[in-house]
Amino acid sequence: MKLIAYHRPAALAEARHLLRELGAAAMPLAGCTSHSFVKGDEERIGVDLAKIGFDTIERADGGFIVGANARVADLQAHRAPGWVLDRVALRFVSQPVRNMTTLGGNIARIFPWNDFPVALLALNATVTIAGEEDRQLPADIYFDGQPARHFKAGDILIRVFVPDVGAGCGFAYRKDTLVSMAFSRLTAAVWLQREGKTIRDARIALGAAVPLPLRLELVEEAVVGKVYSAELIADAMERQIAALRWRSSDAFSEEYVQQLARAHVPDALEEAFRAAGGGRK
Amino acid sequence: MNIAFTLNGKPQELTISPNEKLTEALRRLGVYSVKTGCNEGACGSCVVNVNGRAVKSCLMYAAQVDGGCVETVEFIGSLDNPHPIQSALVEEGAVQCGFCMGGLIMSAKAVFDKNPSPTDEELAIHLDGHLCRCTGYEKIQSALRKVSSGAAS
Ligand SMILES: Cc1cc2nc3c(=O)[nH]c(=O)nc-3n(C[C@H](O)[C@H](O)[C@H](O)COP(=O)(O)OP(=O)(O)OC[C@H]3O[C@@H](n4cnc5c(N)ncnc54)[C@H](O)[C@@H]3O)c2cc1C
Ligand code: FES
Ligand code: FES
Repeated sequence: MKLIAYHRPAALAEARHLLRELGAAAMPLAGCTSHSFVKGDEERIGVDLAKIGFDTIERADGGFIVGANARVADLQAHRAPGWVLDRVALRFVSQPVRNMTTLGGNIARIFPWNDFPVALLALNATVTIAGEEDRQLPADIYFDGQPARHFKAGDILIRVFVPDVGAGCGFAYRKDTLVSMAFSRLTAAVWLQREGKTIRDARIALGAAVPLPLRLELVEEAVVGKVYSAELIADAMERQIAALRWRSSDAFSEEYVQQLARAHVPDALEEAFRAAGGGRK
Repeated sequence: MNIAFTLNGKPQELTISPNEKLTEALRRLGVYSVKTGCNEGACGSCVVNVNGRAVKSCLMYAAQVDGGCVETVEFIGSLDNPHPIQSALVEEGAVQCGFCMGGLIMSAKAVFDKNPSPTDEELAIHLDGHLCRCTGYEKIQSALRKVSSGAAS
């Protein structure tokens, strides 16, 4: 990819106008950290979103409104009751890249190793896209395939509503890499709500080991409404593993990542269950 | 296109191509401490501070620093008047070929500018992303621990 022109609009309306006027070659620029992954000499016109705002994290009813231009380092530094994305941010490759990458860039185009799609699926986030009118898409719809299909010319992702992890709820995030800076072989995020020893509700998401992030619906169905049981989870995992299409690479086989899933997903469920019981959220 | 920014405390104007990376622009300006290692965001040898934050200049377009403030290791100390981070690295024998050091020192500086006494864990979090092929990491760690404890000259 080659940038042949660069614009830095000062407001959302101007950015949308430029993206529409400049046509198919125009692309939004956020942290630009994905460009080294895009091979080829395709010529593009960059519309830098750095000055249009949408870079704060604010408390809202039942959660947080995170601007799409908030940096991963800002998510890492944020502390508030019910806020858990700092833990996801901390696992994100390295500090200089966290200082550059935005939440919006991480979820507008999904690479297998991207951390936030998995976490936001588990947390049941809502994504807002500014177009002719603002559209709000629940995570289940937004992440059901590459998000590009939700964007028309001139559309810009502006914010994400992240529900807080409240009383009786827990969250856990797992990321498996060969070394800390390597790309993920598997990521898993679990949100659950607990009542005594019973799992009242759960959202379990998996990434990296599968072509695109998805929810482990068979495991969710098996555990919701049931008393927490490691055996129940292990049984459901086997059915889920058999039902999924897995990703492999030169560095790992399908069998290997399935084995990682057997280890990490139950671990994450256990951590979230404990957290929902009053420990760390 | 033309950009204007502050480079190491001085105003700087430069004509760039939109596709030019900050690493390339800085070398054109004679800032040779900024090394291109992997050129894909993995090694940290190209790290500079932009508006106080450590960033990988091989991933950043020069256009993105228009109006901003860029600092490289040339700015923070010299042979005659080294920064305490530089002194500590030398005293602890943490430097061999020096290829990684420009970037690593800038990441460390960004940490110490915010918090003069970071813990080992905080240092590890901020310096993950810097590969050093020569020294191993223990001497780097003990040098930075020295700065954190105020024992560096
Ligand atoms: C060495 C390296 C390691 C990495 N490791 C990880 C990792 O471990 N985990 C992880 O999660 N990520 C990782 N990343 C980052 C990740 O792969 C992406 O590069 C990054 O998330 C992109 O975010 P950005 O802000 O840089 O966006 P950009 O690269 O600027 O944009 C990405 C895409 O999104 C579009 N876009 C951006 N913002 C918007 C918006 N507001 N509206 C509409 N479209 C938009 C752009 O047009 C582009 O197509 C790594 C990157 C590097 C370089
Ligand atoms: S050259 Fe930039 S991180 Fe390696
Ligand atoms: S001193 Fe040689 S690479 Fe670090």
